Amino acid sequence: MLISALSLLLLITPAGVLPADVPGKPDQYELLSQGTRLVQEGMLDEAVEKFMQVPPPVPGEDAGVFVRSRMEAARILFSKKDFRASAGLCDEILCILPDNIDANNLARQIRVAETPEWLKFLKDMKTYLPTLVKATSMTLLLVFITMAISPVGGLFIALGRISRNKAVSSVFWFYIWIFRGTPLLLQLFFIYYGLPSLGITLDPFAAAVMGLGLNYSAYLAEIMRGGIESIDAGQMEAAKAIGMTYWQAMRRIIVPQTYKRLVPPVGNEFIALIKDTALVSTIAMVELMRAANQIFSATFNVYILAQAAIIYLVLTSIFTVSFRKLEDRLGVYENR
Amino acid sequence: MIELQGVVKRFGSLSAVDGVDLDIEKGQRIVIIGPSGSGKTTLLRMINFLEKMDEGSILMEGKEVGYHKDKKGRLVMEKPHVISSLRSEIGMVFQHFHLFPHMTALQNVMEGPLTVKKEPREEVHKLALDLLVRVGLQDKKDAYPAFLSGGQKQRVAIARALAMRPKLMLFDEPTSALDPELVGEVFTTIKNLAGEGITMVIVTHQMGFAREIADRVIFMDNGRFIFEGHPEDLFSDRMEHPRIKTFLQKVL
Repeated sequence: MLISALSLLLLITPAGVLPADVPGKPDQYELLSQGTRLVQEGMLDEAVEKFMQVPPPVPGEDAGVFVRSRMEAARILFSKKDFRASAGLCDEILCILPDNIDANNLARQIRVAETPEWLKFLKDMKTYLPTLVKATSMTLLLVFITMAISPVGGLFIALGRISRNKAVSSVFWFYIWIFRGTPLLLQLFFIYYGLPSLGITLDPFAAAVMGLGLNYSAYLAEIMRGGIESIDAGQMEAAKAIGMTYWQAMRRIIVPQTYKRLVPPVGNEFIALIKDTALVSTIAMVELMRAANQIFSATFNVYILAQAAIIYLVLTSIFTVSFRKLEDRLGVYENR
Repeated sequence: MIELQGVVKRFGSLSAVDGVDLDIEKGQRIVIIGPSGSGKTTLLRMINFLEKMDEGSILMEGKEVGYHKDKKGRLVMEKPHVISSLRSEIGMVFQHFHLFPHMTALQNVMEGPLTVKKEPREEVHKLALDLLVRVGLQDKKDAYPAFLSGGQKQRVAIARALAMRPKLMLFDEPTSALDPELVGEVFTTIKNLAGEGITMVIVTHQMGFAREIADRVIFMDNGRFIFEGHPEDLFSDRMEHPRIKTFLQKVL
């Protein structure tokens, strides 16, 4: 409001310079200056009324005063958020002077102001989504590689952990202790920034895969150990009684029975994994989080973060539903 | 065929099995009875190497098997693969069945010959079907254990043990976990096997069954055999042994 009043002050022509009254017609100059005065006094509604009394120009006549007064009215209405009336005045001006810069600018401002928030969100999405989706493919690649590595590593560590050989068992205990007991972020930093000083330099992708793989193997190992130990001891005895060795029994009898029980906790881990991949953005990996952060830093558009959040939610939701389905499928042998 | 000599098993200071000798001849049906905690199950489990014995020896066809002595003279079980191959010749049926729940009845029966003996699948399939017919469960071949009754589970477990074509079958209280109306079908199945001349050692609390099937019955108490002989002698009125007399009075 203050700004429009100021701009108005700059626009007004000094009253003394105005031409003399033309009889039989309302004096447009008089109306403009009266309106301007009302604006200065803060009586905006009355000012708009005065500006609106300026009649449209007859063809051939100079449209300057008409345009100026309608423009003032339009600005006041815009400042009062009466977008429709303001846009109507802009149209009036543009009918006479289609190239008028002020009217065009105001019309654009009105369009932006009139656009609902959700539409702005969608427009931003259209602009930035391709970049985010491309970055999501890296997130997914990391998730799937870790999902392929960690169950294998986890099972290996779990079997080592339950070994009756104390030395073997302690080695794996130590591994789990380290990787579950320190932050994943620290592990990633150590692998990417720390290992080079020991002569091992990894590119960001290799470092990310290694960090996630080692960390998730440790978590899955503890889950799998719990799964194996939850199987009734009678199963191992029955397997041995038909002549199976320990490893045959593990492979054929014990481990397959853990699958269904493992799906919910392992599913939880993998959902956590989707979110944990955001941590590798700190070691120069461009994935969803880093891409979103880069755009956000450049634009300060908070919707970018919301978009990234939605992509994460879509991924975690798909995982949740898939693991539920998988659990049902693996339980066919149960009588429920 | 299989002989136990001076077998001892201790749990801490308690001797669960306290120096017993047992000679199992081919085709014999030996029933072991006795009060709970008398060491019957422990003895059975030692025949199958599921329990390590502390003293004594186990002979198969006259040859000592399964153990050697370390420098201090203590018994040490042989390497797992040796034990596994010994076990594959002895079938065991458990009180709680222990069927593999993630496999169908047929897959349970096929598992041993397939994984342990690595026999060709078609042959094993045929063998397993035959065994399921023998225990009267051909129509349940594709059922998972969770969908079978206790009696049916135990009959599948018997078929699973038989699939390894064992020299000896061990039954560890095969009907103790069953509802009374399901006991009969399992006994009938075991009796049919007995009729086929399969060597078996049965631990049971069912005296009627013991009397009917055994050609030798053993009464075990505090880790020792206090009677070994013909069932008619054990169950006769002339039985004077006070421990046996009171036990039989209670259970019969």
